[in-house]
Amino acid sequence: MYGRCPFLSPLYGPKGRYLRTVITNNIEVLFGGQAGDGSLTTGDLIATAFKRMGLELYTYKDFPSRIRGGHTNYVIRAGQHRHYGLADYVDAMVAFDLECVERHIQEIRPHGFVIFDNSTEKLTDAVRRPDVTFYEVPLAKIAKEQLGLELVRNTISMGVLAALVGMDPQIVRTLVTKQYERKGEKVVAQNVAAIDAGEQYVREHCTTPSGYDLVARPDGDRLLMMGNDAIGYGALVAGCRFMAGYPITPATDVLEWMARHAPKYGGVVVQAEDELAAINMTIGASFAGVRSMTATSGPGQALMTEGIGLAGVVETPIVVIECARAGPSTGMPTKTEQSNLNHLIFSGHGEIPRVVLAPGTVEESFYLTVAAFNLAEKYQVPVFVLSEQALCQSKETTPRLEFGSVTVDRGKLIRNGGVTFGEYKRFAFSEDGVSPRVIPGVDGGMHLAPGSEHSDGGVITEDATNRRRMMEKRMHKLESMRPELPRPNLLGDPKAAVAFIGYGSNRGPIAETQDRLHADGIATRFLQLRTLWPFPEEEVRAFVHSAAHVFVVENNITGQLERLIRYVTGPLPHMHPVRKYDGRPFRPIEIIDAVKKVLASATSPTEKGASVTPVGPEKTAAGVRSVAR
Amino acid sequence: MATVLSPKDFATATPSWWCAGCGDFGVLAALKQACADLGLQPKDVAFISGIGCSGKISGYLHSYAFHGVHGRALPTATAVKLANKDLTVIVAGGDGDGYAIGAGHFLHAVRRNPNMAYIVMDNQTYGLTKGQSSPTSMLGYKDGTHPQGNPDAPINGLAIALAAGGTFLARGFSSEPKQMTEMIKEAVRHPGFAVVEVMSPCVTFNKINTYKWFKENVYHLDDAPGYDQHDKQKAFATLTAAGKIPLGIFYREVRPTLDALTLGDHPAISSLPIETIDPRLVALQDAYA
Repeated sequence: MYGRCPFLSPLYGPKGRYLRTVITNNIEVLFGGQAGDGSLTTGDLIATAFKRMGLELYTYKDFPSRIRGGHTNYVIRAGQHRHYGLADYVDAMVAFDLECVERHIQEIRPHGFVIFDNSTEKLTDAVRRPDVTFYEVPLAKIAKEQLGLELVRNTISMGVLAALVGMDPQIVRTLVTKQYERKGEKVVAQNVAAIDAGEQYVREHCTTPSGYDLVARPDGDRLLMMGNDAIGYGALVAGCRFMAGYPITPATDVLEWMARHAPKYGGVVVQAEDELAAINMTIGASFAGVRSMTATSGPGQALMTEGIGLAGVVETPIVVIECARAGPSTGMPTKTEQSNLNHLIFSGHGEIPRVVLAPGTVEESFYLTVAAFNLAEKYQVPVFVLSEQALCQSKETTPRLEFGSVTVDRGKLIRNGGVTFGEYKRFAFSEDGVSPRVIPGVDGGMHLAPGSEHSDGGVITEDATNRRRMMEKRMHKLESMRPELPRPNLLGDPKAAVAFIGYGSNRGPIAETQDRLHADGIATRFLQLRTLWPFPEEEVRAFVHSAAHVFVVENNITGQLERLIRYVTGPLPHMHPVRKYDGRPFRPIEIIDAVKKVLASATSPTEKGASVTPVGPEKTAAGVRSVAR
Repeated sequence: MATVLSPKDFATATPSWWCAGCGDFGVLAALKQACADLGLQPKDVAFISGIGCSGKISGYLHSYAFHGVHGRALPTATAVKLANKDLTVIVAGGDGDGYAIGAGHFLHAVRRNPNMAYIVMDNQTYGLTKGQSSPTSMLGYKDGTHPQGNPDAPINGLAIALAAGGTFLARGFSSEPKQMTEMIKEAVRHPGFAVVEVMSPCVTFNKINTYKWFKENVYHLDDAPGYDQHDKQKAFATLTAAGKIPLGIFYREVRPTLDALTLGDHPAISSLPIETIDPRLVALQDAYA
């Protein structure tokens, strides 16, 4: 699918001594230093360079919740396969200070390497590992002495890395030129010279090969996009022309993306005074007939809870983007977590119909956001799009977006009259629970939309019969919409005894775990949930009961997804939690270890008579993967 | 051709939940008269209200009405105006709604200056929860939550609005329907965020600030010779002066509105055809290639 597999060839040292194999077109690079020193910009440049060389990418930002200072790093995983997540280990580290090496040296793969700026700090014995190659390069010193500008230190490091792993020099220079051309010829020249200097340093001083190599492939017609950008893009394409939000990490990117683009299409973005205002503005714009959304993270989501209940009862369609981060309270604003699921599904006083969609990739972030707007307007309900820091602030290579499949379905919206006052009832009872929705300005449709319980005509009432019917009408929408909800993706061997359930950013690590277990002769299947509410009960029940072992992989401590599953399945002895809650995304090895531990201790065959099925000879690794939309 | 309407055309069939004699009846009557006098059509009026006795008013004005959550009427209304700038947007709520739970939104609506009118129906108590102190209750006001007397000083909403950049500030009294009607008309006509605070007595719970009390404690700015509605210093002095409560229009200023600044000459957002995808949106992905 992506051309030939990475090849391994022997690597010989300076005296013809066999060292190890060379890894080609497969590398995970960690750029680390202090926040504000520009390593994120360089990281983006390197990521684009890898893409130009035809590799598939996933990037991960691990930064502190401060602007200047504090350790920050940017991880770029590049390879021939699209992985949507981190690898087991880091292959190469570019460390701008000793702290970076101290923090991450244990994450380096055996035979990996470190580029360390030794201008001011020296490597200590404590951080050295015999199985890791250290290239100590005085980056800042070269920048200052050769180029007269300490700022280009990062660009020099790119030159060093480029030379060590065999990046195409022309691609690197073209990118650097494009990146800085807005700042003038002088800046471009300085940065190109910095690349030269980095490459030259490697030629003159680095005698040990890095053990990594890149062979350029066609870039192809692909995109490199961040999850939050895909959400903003999806919203705009879906016709969203109003957004209100309050800045909050990691959701602010969506607000900024929309502020940059929406006005060109006639839209408006408001930076609200708080999340209470943001959600009520989102409702107000929708009441007036404009597709609208807000984006927030846990703390803001808590404040929006009241407004979401209002949207539910006045049947006003809204889309709420939740970019989850580590809670509770302020928690760890820049770290990833899947602990907001309960909040999205269960929060609020009273009962309303709501939808929770969860993309697992950047590409899905686009399409599910479009779906969210259509579901919201068609069923006149609040719809959440749940992402996470490890997905929404990560970039991925992705195929070009297909607009042929994108439709804007406004449901029972009435914009052009034909309404008779006295006959029209805004909250009319109907078979699917959805009533024709007229917007202000249309003659004859005047009504009250109250957060209080109301009659079909919008008159506030506490009548018992009406109350029962209204509750049933609104909640029935959850059933009516079921056929249109995004279905789960089933990856792997549908009959395998070992099964995974997960959602969101865990799509990548789980899918990669599948490939690796497959290589070890263990067949697996994976149900990637994309609609989390209304919960896909039938699919999950069928999936879970036919498996010998079900691993529920999630980033929280209490097993929020597992509890949802148990609601529909009851207690299951063969369900195993795989949980991580340190604010960082899973690396595949962590899931693999958890699975192998269970399989090793499991008495076979299980009570269901099922045992772990070996992989048949006809099932290739490539056959296990399926890239789903 | 739009027909000229009377106040009755702005009435709904919904029976009122207010107590007999409630000051809010006067506000509603003035509002209906103002809508008729201004030649508005119910279909073009978006009427957003808060929660409380006053918030019920949205059910009684024939219009596109929205009765949201407590304190959040202003953000909702601001977005309605931005979404469809051709609508006449009117907001109403009580003193608790605007000056307590929604105080933050009040300040920000004032500074944003969206083109809409806001009527604060001030009865100096929380009527619907049976008479507790509100942000405008007088010091020492005794109620269920303050049996020893309210220790919190009352808030001066109009003075705060002036400091926050208010562009139209007025105060009426629900026993003075003619003046109130004119004030509401001026407020709706004002190109910007117009605040009309109305003293609207609660006949059931507030036994201090009664109709009689108000009649003895108000005076009309119109009676003050040479009052200049464009003099900010004078307005602030008048609003904060001790003694009797002034009624009238305190201050007017014209500055760019939120809707004008963000929308310019663009058509109402709600009229945009979004069903067909703009080709520029397809091309937008080239920036990521």
